[in-house]
Amino acid sequence: MNVLDYLADGFMTALQWHNLLFAFIGVLIGTSVGVLPGIGPMSGVALLIPVTASMTSGLPAEAAATSSIILLAGVYYGAMYGGSTTSILLNTPGESSSVVTTLDGYQMAKQGRAGPALSIAAIGSFAAGLFALVALIALAEPLSNVAIKFGPADYFSLMLLGLCAVSGLAGKSITKALIMTVFGLLLATIGMDTVSGVARFTFDIPILYSGLEFLTIAVGLFALGEVFKSILERDYAAGRTSKIGHILPTRKDLKDSAGPIARGSILGFFIGILPGAGATLASFFSYIVEKKVSKHPESFGKGNIAGVAAPESANNAASGGAMIPLLTLGIPGSGTTAILMGALIMYNIQPGPLLFEEHPQVAWGLIASMLIGNLLLLVLNMPLVKVFAKVIQTPAKYLIPIIIAISIFGVYAVQAQIFDLVLLLICGITGFLLARNDFPLAPLVLGLVLGPMIENNMRRALTTSNGDFMIFLQKPMSLAFLIIALLWIVVPILLKRRGKEVVVNEEG
Amino acid sequence: MNRTFDRYASIVFLLLGIGFMWQSAKISASAYGSTVGPNIFPFGLGLALTLLSIRLFYEALKAKPTENHAEKLDYKRFFMIFAAAFLYAYFLEFIGYIIGTFLFLLFAFQTLERGKWLKSILISALFSGGVYVIFVVLLEGSMPGFPSWLS
Repeated sequence: MNVLDYLADGFMTALQWHNLLFAFIGVLIGTSVGVLPGIGPMSGVALLIPVTASMTSGLPAEAAATSSIILLAGVYYGAMYGGSTTSILLNTPGESSSVVTTLDGYQMAKQGRAGPALSIAAIGSFAAGLFALVALIALAEPLSNVAIKFGPADYFSLMLLGLCAVSGLAGKSITKALIMTVFGLLLATIGMDTVSGVARFTFDIPILYSGLEFLTIAVGLFALGEVFKSILERDYAAGRTSKIGHILPTRKDLKDSAGPIARGSILGFFIGILPGAGATLASFFSYIVEKKVSKHPESFGKGNIAGVAAPESANNAASGGAMIPLLTLGIPGSGTTAILMGALIMYNIQPGPLLFEEHPQVAWGLIASMLIGNLLLLVLNMPLVKVFAKVIQTPAKYLIPIIIAISIFGVYAVQAQIFDLVLLLICGITGFLLARNDFPLAPLVLGLVLGPMIENNMRRALTTSNGDFMIFLQKPMSLAFLIIALLWIVVPILLKRRGKEVVVNEEG
Repeated sequence: MNRTFDRYASIVFLLLGIGFMWQSAKISASAYGSTVGPNIFPFGLGLALTLLSIRLFYEALKAKPTENHAEKLDYKRFFMIFAAAFLYAYFLEFIGYIIGTFLFLLFAFQTLERGKWLKSILISALFSGGVYVIFVVLLEGSMPGFPSWLS
C-alpha cells in the first residue's frame, strides 16, 4: 500500500461519526481552552486525558486510542488558534505562543478592526495547519523508514538529544531546566523495573510498585499549578473585551496577509520539527522576519495585519510540525506533545517508527482527522467568533473551582485511588512553586515520559557491548546525536556568556 | 525571594540526588543474562542531580540579590480552597461523589466571592449531578455516587 491508500484508510477512520464528533468536541474545547486565560494547551490536554479515557472506555483498545488522540490533538491545535482571540480582544495572550499577536492584534482591535484580525488569524491558522499536514504526510514515511534502522544505542542518544534540546531552550536557567529533566527521569524509575522485575524506590509500599502515574503528575503540575497560581495572585477578575465589528476581512487585508501566512507557515513548520523550539519561538521568529521583509517596518506594532497573520500561522504550523518527531521517532519536542505521547502510551500504543506499521489506523486516522479538524476549526470559528468572545467573560471565580473538581474527578475516574488524588494535590503545589521560580515544567514531564524508554535502550545497548559505555561513541549515528545534544546545551551557554540575548521557549 | 527559593530548592534536590544514589546502591547490581543491572541508570541520574544542584546552589549564591517586587499573595483564600480540596479528595470514597463535589464547589465559589448563593448552589448542583449522570449512568464508569452508609 502506498501513502495515498493509507491516507484513504485514515479518512475512513476519521470520518466515522464518533470520530467526527470527537474531533469536533476537541476543537471546540481546545478553542475555549485557548480563549480562557489561565489554562493553556498543556493543562487543557492533560485535563482532558482522563475525560477522554472514560468517554472511550466502551471501544476496543485501538479504536479507543484513535478516538481519544483525535480529540486531544484537536484540543492542542484548537488551543493554538484560540489563544489569538484573547490576544486581539483583551491584549492578554491566552497562551504563550500568542504573545506576539497582542502587538498588532490589540492595536487593530482598538482601531475597530478586531473582526478582520480574528478572521485573518483563523484563515492563517487554517492555511498553516493544512501546509503542516501535507508536509507531515510527505515526511512521515521516509522518516520512519530511516528511524527503523536505529539500534538501541542510536535511540538512546537520540532521546538524550531530545531532552537536551528541550532543556537548552526552556526557561531562563539551563541548570534549572536540566535539574527538572533529571528529576523527571528519576521519578520515572520509581516502581517495578520492567527488565529485571526488581522493585526500585518503593520502600515496600504496594501502591508504588506500579510507579507514579504520568497522568496524575501532568494534571497536577500543569492544570492545578496554574489554578493555584490564579487563586494566589487573585487573577480572576473578568476583563473588558473590545467590540468586534464586522468580521470578514477586506480584499486588501487578504492580499496583505497572503505573503505573511505563507512565510509564517513554512517557518513555523520547520521550527516546530526541531525539538525544544516550539510554537512560541516560531511565532516570535516569524514576526521578526515579517518586520524585516516588510516595506513599512514602522507600521508594525500599530495594527499591521501582517503582524497578526504571520505569528498565528507560524504557531499553528509549529504545532503540526511538532507531531512529526512525535509520530515518526517517538520523541516529543515539547511539553504538550510529551503529554500527547503519555496519552498514547496509556493505551499501550508506542509512538515511534513502528507506529505506522503496527497501528496504521491510529497514525493515519490522526493525520486525516487533523485535516478535518482544521476545516472544522475554520467553519466553527468564522461564525462563532462572537460566541468565543463571550466565553472570555466566563467568570474565573466559577472556573477555578470547576477546574479543580475536573482534575480530581478525572484522576479518580482513571486511577480510582485516593493515593493519586493526594499526589495530584501535592503536584499542584509543587508545580506552582517551581513555575513561579523559573523552574520549567515541560522538561520534567518529558523526562517522565521518556525515562523508561531511555533506560531500556541504554541497557539494551550496554548488554550488546558487555557493559562498555564506548558503544555510544562508536556507532556513527549515536555519536552524531550526542555531539548535537552537547552543542545544544553548550552553544546557548556560550552565547549567554558573550552577553547575547537568547530567545527562550517559555512553554508549549 | 527567588534567590532564597533557589537555595532551598538546590538543597532539596541535593538531598534527593544523594537519596536516590544511596537507595539505588541497595538494588541488586546484576540482572539475569545481562551485565547491566537495574541500579546503574538511577545511580547515574542521582549523581547528575547531585552535581546539578551543587551548581544551582553556587549560581544562587553568585546571583545578585533582586529587589523584592513580588506582589502579595492571597494565602488565606488559597489555603482555604486547598484544605477543602484536600478534604474532598481524601474523603471522596467515604462521602460519595455527588455530595462531596457539591460541597467542595459551593465552598470554593463562596470563598472566591461571597454572596450570590442561589447561583453558586445551582452551578454546584448542576456540575456534580451532571458529571455523575454522564459518567456513571451514560458511560457506565464506576464512581461512588452516594456514601455507602446512606443507602
